[in-house]
Amino acid sequence: MDSRRVWLTVAVMALLGLMFIPASQLLLGIRYTYTVRVVALGGAVLGMIGAVLGCFAVLRRESLMGDVLSHAALPGVALAFLLAGRELGLLLIGAGLSSWLALRFISSALHTTRIKPDAAMGIALAAWFAAGIALLTYIQAIPEASQAGLDNFIFGQAAAIIESDVILVSAVGLVVLMALLLFWKEFKLVTFDAAFASANGFRVGLINTLLSTLIVTAIVLGLQLAGVILMVGILTAPAVAARQWTHKLDQMIMLAAVFGAFSGGAGAVISALDSDMPTGPMIIVVAFALVMISLAVAPGRGLMWRGWRGRKNRRRFAQQNALPAAAVKKLERKLEDQ
Amino acid sequence: MMALERLCIEFLLNFVGREELNIFLRSPQNTAMLVGGLIAISGAVLGSFLLLRGMALTSDAISHTVLLGIVVAFLLMTDVFGVAGDTSSPWLIIGAALAGVATVVLTEALYHSGLVRQDAALGLAFPLLFAIAVILVSRFAEDVHLDEDAVLVGEIGLAWANTHNHCLENCQTVTIDEGHPAAKIGRQCANCRQLGISPRDEAAEFDEICLNCGEYTPAQAWQAGLTDDEPLLVFFPKSITVTAVMSLLVIGFTILFYKELKLTTFDAALAQALGFRPAAMNYALMGLVSLVAVGAFDAVGSILVIAFFIIPPAAAYLLTDRLSLMLVLSPLIGAAGVFFGYDLARGAVFGLFQISDAIKSLNRLLGLELIERWDSSISASMALMMFVLFLLAWALSPKYGLISTLIRRAVQRRRFDNQVVLAHIHNHQFTARHETELRIDTLHVHFHWSPQKMTRVLARLRARGLVAAVNQTVQLTARGDRHVHQFRAAMLSAHNILD
Repeated sequence: MDSRRVWLTVAVMALLGLMFIPASQLLLGIRYTYTVRVVALGGAVLGMIGAVLGCFAVLRRESLMGDVLSHAALPGVALAFLLAGRELGLLLIGAGLSSWLALRFISSALHTTRIKPDAAMGIALAAWFAAGIALLTYIQAIPEASQAGLDNFIFGQAAAIIESDVILVSAVGLVVLMALLLFWKEFKLVTFDAAFASANGFRVGLINTLLSTLIVTAIVLGLQLAGVILMVGILTAPAVAARQWTHKLDQMIMLAAVFGAFSGGAGAVISALDSDMPTGPMIIVVAFALVMISLAVAPGRGLMWRGWRGRKNRRRFAQQNALPAAAVKKLERKLEDQ
Repeated sequence: MMALERLCIEFLLNFVGREELNIFLRSPQNTAMLVGGLIAISGAVLGSFLLLRGMALTSDAISHTVLLGIVVAFLLMTDVFGVAGDTSSPWLIIGAALAGVATVVLTEALYHSGLVRQDAALGLAFPLLFAIAVILVSRFAEDVHLDEDAVLVGEIGLAWANTHNHCLENCQTVTIDEGHPAAKIGRQCANCRQLGISPRDEAAEFDEICLNCGEYTPAQAWQAGLTDDEPLLVFFPKSITVTAVMSLLVIGFTILFYKELKLTTFDAALAQALGFRPAAMNYALMGLVSLVAVGAFDAVGSILVIAFFIIPPAAAYLLTDRLSLMLVLSPLIGAAGVFFGYDLARGAVFGLFQISDAIKSLNRLLGLELIERWDSSISASMALMMFVLFLLAWALSPKYGLISTLIRRAVQRRRFDNQVVLAHIHNHQFTARHETELRIDTLHVHFHWSPQKMTRVLARLRARGLVAAVNQTVQLTARGDRHVHQFRAAMLSAHNILD
């Protein structure tokens, strides 16, 4: 596939994504007040970070690991709240530690027992989530806890995002993206051919740990937006959609970033219209629409493209078969004449 | 459903009196444990097969998707068919379970298209369906008794309150008409509203009407004092019926198709070759998983049910190598988790200590001001207790446990050390260099060991009478010599087999 054409697609997609702002003003009657601007910006930044790191999760066939790690963040959030109160930075650190513990549990269960990866992941998901729910139920008994909005971490609530949150998230996101750029070669190598990387003297274990840490960071940042249960959709959906358009990692990541920013921003804005509407589900629906479109129309891979190529091939095959038949007839006639 | 319950009640009444049965069922604890235990049994049996087939996360997927099935079926029932939506109605359960199976089929179609890998297909489809379900719930929350909390944790603590009542005796409905001695006759202003006047006005005309006429169910009639015959009622929680039927189905299926399940689980190719149908078995299993996920939804919600499917079988898997034993052990572990989990929700850990005491000391140590009363989600605590039991199995399992593995490794290391030293002595003891090679105070150098370790190993060997010290060097005793030869013979024969 022509590489320049894909870059063009990325640019067009980004422009189309930006068109959401005037379109929503006209069609949905959304006014971009200060609050809505903050929410939209926060949603877009979080969606982008999640999508970029989600590419690695999808390519490493670890999408479901993202599901487990996001569920596993819940007890960390609850504990951090109990010990330190509602301070977003601390809540996120608690979430990260708790996900990281789940990661350690899974790898040590895999190393010391004969339990298979899927079961180990299922155990971690269920146990950590149960612990989180048990703690949350306990917290609900605390009088001032109802305003803390910890429930927002379950299904996500973009309306709760304030300006300082956006700044914090953007700063951490910047660090994550810098780390990604810095270790680009290593991450790429480990993702596609870990054995080759190890044979060439790269420290695969260390690089894997770093990449997992970055993915956990992205999950933890996105929790406010999508909630622990649906976070995996933010990781996988934009990445899967982007995967349909290109075979190159850098292009896939750029496209996923655009898709993620669009679904995060648009989903957050739509759900902010109504305080009853949790944001996570809205974002997932938008992102999944992008996946469906990509699966259908992406050039080279999409279903429509495939159908069209199949028809073309069939026609060519028929022509090629028809030609010899005609030639044979001609030959037969010649023979008869003689 | 009602007839089934009736049968069940009549069976139970052979053993206990009606009063005791009612008292038993009305206790939240008994009902919660019964319901939780039944879910744990059916979940653990199915989960054992899922675990062995490497499909543990399919239960995660199914439990997420049946939520959509439940919500849609619920809305259809209330809005389209005009029946009160009821999550224990068999039609709703079957419909929602079909949705679960359909989604498994859809996901398989998604990754058979070759565009999306299996894990990504799961990671896409299930969040989407769950998201749609959550949107529906939050949109129609007013007319649906489902809410987001119930989706997450269920209401096992309230299972006792949602009952069918069964009447055993004096069951006639009571009809009160105007001639009935208990009828209350009152006066009502007939033209007040029409004329816009108050009943005190002189122009007001009055009708005599019956205030309490109508039909009463036996229970209502008894409560209102309209009848002297107390109806004998049994209040039977709906969740118990649903989960009991589920468990019976699962156990019956497992017993009937035990051979097929075993074969398709361990060797699908052989099963196919022998003419069994692994695919049919697979879908039957998925169907049952969906059914259990739907049936358990009321009690434990749509996410925590995963714990009931995966954790007890995983613990049992660490304890035994036999499928039959695993199928017995995992329900037991699940039921134990339910039993201790209920106490955990009320703050007691295995009856050993109270969580509130722990919080108290935490408050003292860290200067926090946490509430000391621990009252938490029952279903989450049950799942958590199952995890604790899993950790115990992991630590203590006689064959695969951490402790037994550590002991086994230590024993092996010690044996290896002994053999190495004996072999070294055997190689050098009658050679010219035995003075330098076998000197006690420099022996450790030859193994790159620390002197302490060398002393320990030598002490062990000396205690067993395998070596003896002779003029600052070590020598094999006669017994040690025999030991080395036996060992060498064993090694050589093992070597020959390998060649």
